[in-house]
Amino acid sequence: MTRAGPMLGHALRRLLWTIPALFAISVVTFLFLSFVPDPTDDPRFAKGLDGATLEEARRGRFLDLPRFFNGAPEDVRSRVERAVHQLSEGDEAAAMGASTLARLGGAALPYVLPELDAIAPEPRLRVALALAPVARRMGLPDAEDAANPAKTVAFWARYADERGTLLRPAEVRTAVARLARYRTASRLAEVVELDTFALEEVMRALVLPRTAEDVHQARVLVAVLAHATQRRDLVDPDGTVEEARGAVLRWRRYWRVHRTDFVALTGTTRVTAVISETRYGKWAEGLLTERLGRTASGRTVAGELLGRAPTTLAIVGGAIFLAYGLAIPVGAIAALHRNRRIDLALALVVLVAYVVPTAVLAVFVTALVAPDGSLLAPTLVLATGLVASPTRAQRSALLDVLGQDYVRTALAKGAGRYRVVFRHALRNALAPVVTLAALEPPMALGGAFVVEQVFGLHGLGEATMIAVEARDIAWLMALSLFAAGAAALFVVATDLAYATLDPRLARLALGAPRR
Amino acid sequence: MSHLGIAWERLRRSRRATAGLVLLGLVALPGVFAELCASSAPLVAWDGAHLTVLPAVTGARAPEAPLVALHAPVRFGPEDTSPAGPLAPPSGAHPLGTDAKGRDLFARLVYGARTALGLSLFAVALGIVLGALLGGLAGYFRGFWNERLVRLVETVETFPAIVVVALVRAIEQKPSALSLVIAVALVRWAEVARLVREEVLRASVEGYVLGARALGASPLRILVRHIAPNAVGPLLVSSVFGVASVVLLETAVSFLGMGGELAAASWGETLAEGARTPSAPALVVLPGALLALVLIGSYLIADALRDALDPKAVRRRPDHGADGAPLSLLREPPAP
Repeated sequence: MTRAGPMLGHALRRLLWTIPALFAISVVTFLFLSFVPDPTDDPRFAKGLDGATLEEARRGRFLDLPRFFNGAPEDVRSRVERAVHQLSEGDEAAAMGASTLARLGGAALPYVLPELDAIAPEPRLRVALALAPVARRMGLPDAEDAANPAKTVAFWARYADERGTLLRPAEVRTAVARLARYRTASRLAEVVELDTFALEEVMRALVLPRTAEDVHQARVLVAVLAHATQRRDLVDPDGTVEEARGAVLRWRRYWRVHRTDFVALTGTTRVTAVISETRYGKWAEGLLTERLGRTASGRTVAGELLGRAPTTLAIVGGAIFLAYGLAIPVGAIAALHRNRRIDLALALVVLVAYVVPTAVLAVFVTALVAPDGSLLAPTLVLATGLVASPTRAQRSALLDVLGQDYVRTALAKGAGRYRVVFRHALRNALAPVVTLAALEPPMALGGAFVVEQVFGLHGLGEATMIAVEARDIAWLMALSLFAAGAAALFVVATDLAYATLDPRLARLALGAPRR
Repeated sequence: MSHLGIAWERLRRSRRATAGLVLLGLVALPGVFAELCASSAPLVAWDGAHLTVLPAVTGARAPEAPLVALHAPVRFGPEDTSPAGPLAPPSGAHPLGTDAKGRDLFARLVYGARTALGLSLFAVALGIVLGALLGGLAGYFRGFWNERLVRLVETVETFPAIVVVALVRAIEQKPSALSLVIAVALVRWAEVARLVREEVLRASVEGYVLGARALGASPLRILVRHIAPNAVGPLLVSSVFGVASVVLLETAVSFLGMGGELAAASWGETLAEGARTPSAPALVVLPGALLALVLIGSYLIADALRDALDPKAVRRRPDHGADGAPLSLLREPPAP
């Protein structure tokens, strides 16, 4: 009873320690994987696409962002400034600036309109004309004036005077809330008039649909999103809830990529953007919001892990359990019969089991028994290769213990040989074997991948091979973290086993100062 | 006689070590001299004016129509497809037949031995350098870095090597042997560092270290001359096992075909071909047997090494078993 407290505390402390360790691993692995050649770098892929599409594809993969630290994160304001600058230069960059302004839409207006007076007449006209599509999109009265070179500057000046006050966060919030509640045409027009300025609020109001009512609401909000961004991805009013959820998730993904087109970074968001507007930040965001991110095939990493990890864990865990369960008594028997015929025979059997390569054994087993998806045969095959080292360790550890006085005492008191070994000596000879077990899972994983492949099991190995082929960072990151996390848990478990086995060592194993 | 000297003496007399060395040599020697065993180019060719020796190794061009030419026993390199076609039975030209792609199986296996052993030797050596450096320094200079290193070693050691290989393979455009070496060394160093650190910690409280310090030896000299030799034994044992486990890992990686085909021949690839073609058990049995030879050879050597280096075995007492167990436990108790 007295031991349960410190042991629990130790376990908790170690588990807490795994958090910084996992973070460090994620950073190192991410840095490593950021050198993976991206499919968009492939000339064959890039050849079929024009510059803008390629740019968009790279942006969708966050390749426009720095890896870990973004000293100058982009937001709507900096994009507007650049676009206006491009427009005032007036060369071929002007077309790019114009299309950027049209894309940024309503969100750009608070930053463009006050500047209009400050710039020279010629560029001012170009900027105002570039905003014409926005006016049309917003459904402003006399929107055709915005496209008319004679009237456009006056049009935008009038807009700033009359309606500029609408572009305020509080106004937007009430407008979106009313639209979400009443869903009438007039409320829709109200939000559409705010164009992209309303996107942040709309995204916030857009919940993952669960009921038909939610689908209805999502349909209206998504219609606003699609109208403002000119991205056709609508919710079918007669579709299922599942389809609506898919559409909402796709919009969330879009928002993760394009948020800084429409939102200004101020105050705390500007500070956090230094970290969050990076490739690592976006990956971490996906980890938290998108069920650990998405694999190259579009499924969620969490779903894949949940589907595949049990197979691999069952094989690895089962094999280790079997191998050690066998090795401990076999090693004990071998120690008892040191250098006698039984010892040699056991050593030979164990050596043969060690020497037959797992792959070969697996191929022969599948030739004898057709694989039927059962995990028994793969586990046995994997366990075969693992028996040798714990058996040896158990044998020599027990031989060490058998020389000690308390064993002699037990013998002198008339205990039988097997009783002495299994009741008195074995417990103290288990520690080296437990230490060995802590290092076993990472070594067994390679063998498990081979066994999975031969038996045609859909485990982590298969997904990893596919991910290496597809250069799928999301999966490889998740696999690294999963492997490290599982290994850490196993180390904690073996530490606890250590402490249970040997109360004298408990203080050493559990206490903080480890030498 | 020094501890290592005693160990060496014992090792030389050990039948296990000899047997292990012979078994490993059976695999390693053909791998080292692979060009002499199987090559499409002649070993020595003379076309009347020039004598070309081992063009496969030197990269020289073999004469078109030599007057005299001495060929390797098998006239096919590991990459050459034979006119005999895929899965041909053993014949004079192909002592072991051909594999599923019509390449000479003997050549594949011999060059595969070179890949497997060469790669694992390099990886283990690199791991030893890294690990011994870090472990030795951390063990000797204790303190802050020691603690950090323990955590790092713990994390790295429990990180699966196959995942590291997968990460490395995802980065490269074309899989190479060098990247595999680096990937394995990145994982292997942790075990070495742990062993070295433990030995250094144990040794640095011994009297002879104190004595050396009292005599004015510099810390570096103490580390290199007095402490480091203690770590050699455990390091050797772990390295021998390490070579075997890296050979297994390499086989697994090429068996899985991770990241496309490796340029060099590999046992794992042959095994994978065998797994796909059940009609050709030789493709599984032969590389499997070679793997088994490597495993058993290194097991025997490591076993002999461990016994030879065991300091307890030096102080053997006559009334006890070798490990100090009372004899009554080891023998059948006398009949009542």
